[in-house]
Amino acid sequence: MSQALNELRDSARQVLGKLGLAADENQTWPLLVELGWLLVALPEDDGGLEQGLAGAVAFHTELGRGLAAAPYASALLAIDAVQHAEFAQRQSFLERFTAAEYVAAPMAASHLDLRRDGSRLLLTGGVAALESADRATHLLLSSQDDRCVALVPTRQPGLSLRARNTWDPSRRLFEAQLQDVPLDPALLLAQGEAAQLLCRRLRSLRELSLAADAVGGAAAALTMTVEYLQTRRQFGRPLALFQALKHRCADLCALSVAAEAQLADTVSRYETRLAEPDGELAAKTARQLACSVYARVAEEALQLHGGIGMTSEHACHRFLKRALLDEQLGLPAAQAACDIAGAFIAAC
Amino acid sequence: MKPDNTADALRMEVRSWLHEHLPRQWRKAMTGCDQEAFVRAQREWFYKLAAAGYATPHWPQGWPGGGRPLAEQKIIYEEVARADAPRLILYFVSLYHAACTILEWGTQEQKQLYLPRILKGEVWCQGFSEPNAGSDLASLKTRAERKGDRYVINGQKTWSTMAQYADRCLLLARSGKSDPPQGGLSYFLLDLRSKGVSVRPIAQITGDDEFAEIFFDDVEIPVENRIGADGEGWAVAQSTLSSERGLTLVELTQRMRYALPRIVATMREQGLIDDGARRRELGELIPKVHAACALADRYLLKRISGEEAPGDASVVKLYYSRVLREFVSLGMRCGGLSAQFQEDFTRGGGQETGNWPVDFMNSYNWSIAGGSDEVQRNIISERLLRMPREPRNWQLSGERS
Repeated sequence: MSQALNELRDSARQVLGKLGLAADENQTWPLLVELGWLLVALPEDDGGLEQGLAGAVAFHTELGRGLAAAPYASALLAIDAVQHAEFAQRQSFLERFTAAEYVAAPMAASHLDLRRDGSRLLLTGGVAALESADRATHLLLSSQDDRCVALVPTRQPGLSLRARNTWDPSRRLFEAQLQDVPLDPALLLAQGEAAQLLCRRLRSLRELSLAADAVGGAAAALTMTVEYLQTRRQFGRPLALFQALKHRCADLCALSVAAEAQLADTVSRYETRLAEPDGELAAKTARQLACSVYARVAEEALQLHGGIGMTSEHACHRFLKRALLDEQLGLPAAQAACDIAGAFIAAC
Repeated sequence: MKPDNTADALRMEVRSWLHEHLPRQWRKAMTGCDQEAFVRAQREWFYKLAAAGYATPHWPQGWPGGGRPLAEQKIIYEEVARADAPRLILYFVSLYHAACTILEWGTQEQKQLYLPRILKGEVWCQGFSEPNAGSDLASLKTRAERKGDRYVINGQKTWSTMAQYADRCLLLARSGKSDPPQGGLSYFLLDLRSKGVSVRPIAQITGDDEFAEIFFDDVEIPVENRIGADGEGWAVAQSTLSSERGLTLVELTQRMRYALPRIVATMREQGLIDDGARRRELGELIPKVHAACALADRYLLKRISGEEAPGDASVVKLYYSRVLREFVSLGMRCGGLSAQFQEDFTRGGGQETGNWPVDFMNSYNWSIAGGSDEVQRNIISERLLRMPREPRNWQLSGERS
């Protein structure tokens, strides 16, 4: 990690630490926009901080560590899509989307059919898992066949949003229904082969953002648990003295560190290949491990906290609920495992 | 990191050397062969590697093959794993444990005497563990009694890999009383042909006998064969145990990655290639295997840059041993009933040979030897997570102290 990125990461950790694990979106989102965190991966020419994928992953990790309630992953996906698209308003959209405006990108698979009606392109279908979509000016949508990627204004006839109450209090998810929503030609980011590449790139980035969120969350949940075991006394001694509990923490530590190493390795090897099949597979692989580790650590963290972990004021449930949601976002874990095996067997 | 032409050149050089010199069909030859044939093959492979300088990249400048930085040693190991070359089990203690201990603690005379002989193929074994001193190594009881210009050794060592083929032994024994017990130990370089030494192979659960016990009955060792000062044995032993510096785990994790197709081969043989449950298990294993590689890799890079923290090595070893067990367990499940029948196994072929029951049994080597998983968990929780240490005084109710 570069010196500059180290400093950025430390300051992010500090800011989020001050906000606390229970801060809501109205506190977190304006602050991170103001601090310029949306600029992390953009090159200097686009007014960015030039930290690339490693920078984005470092911030996702910190937001995961701090259970940040902000649609950061989704916002970065849209910014990346605009950055990598060739269209007239690229520069002005980059400026808008890294400052005042928010674009929601689906954090799970969507099912949208593209239909041509004369000169018009129409989108119909459903999109699940749009983060904080009520805040968004646009949605970043792609057709089921990956042949079209477009920005779609949120407020228009034929497009309806429905808020879903997730168990994870740090994410507000919406579903969108589209009925013959016309695409504005000026807002088409990519079509045909270019769109396929962009879709793959966006899926890779989404998987990596989830992996990073999981790596940060797992590390924080474990640290919190170890601190609790060191303070809590029963039977006249700190719980941290019991080997049965120490060994469980050691196992969780090994898992967390392994997931982190795997993610860092993937970032360093595949940054330039995210739009290629092997890059997408590597992203899935890193995410598969990280999210399963996070779920395991969060489950154990609650158990190791005992009764206090069942109370709403304690952060245990926040980690657990975010971990369980992370596992279902993006490409669901079971599907990822089958994909990874399938690709491996095909190459044998 | 800048793109490194020297590193790429070395990688290509090692790769083409291995391509040229690797014994063809060695797996076939080493499957079902007896231990004598295995030892002969190991010697031949050692001589080839040593002549090319690839057996001793970790030795200092001035020795054949020596003076290579850790990053280059890593490349050699990665290529050895990639080429699926035999593991040099017979010489591991000689090349790493013995050589590094002698290089760090030995007198000029000891270096001149022993190191060239290692290059010529002398085999060393390790005499540390005892029947009652495994994880708690410092409690070892083998005595070394000073009598004039010699020590007299009495006691027993165990779990000594390939000791029945060894010429010399790295011996840790108690030469004085001390509290803590680490204080009274001395370290010796023992000629196994000395009078009073007997070596007995241990029959293992695989039917093989890779390990042996060593018995010492009034064995005399000249004082000049002690390494380090009297009572300094524990510190010397720490050098022995850290001598391979993470390279082994780089090699083993890489081998594990390259061995993944053996699971697919078993799935095919058993008609399970389209079995959803097995495919899903494979899909869950692959990320763990990659993570083990990334972890071993990063650990070595940390060592190179001097950023290693206490407990880091334990994380790598614990994670590897758990993933290895999952790997071979999946092999067992894919093998099904056919993995319950005894078949010839491959010697020197690593941990994932595709003979799953044997691989499964051997996987306990990694969760028990070299600090068991439980010891690693203690180290991780105490040093890395900074949880409190076990209290030293304890008493079971009804037991007198």
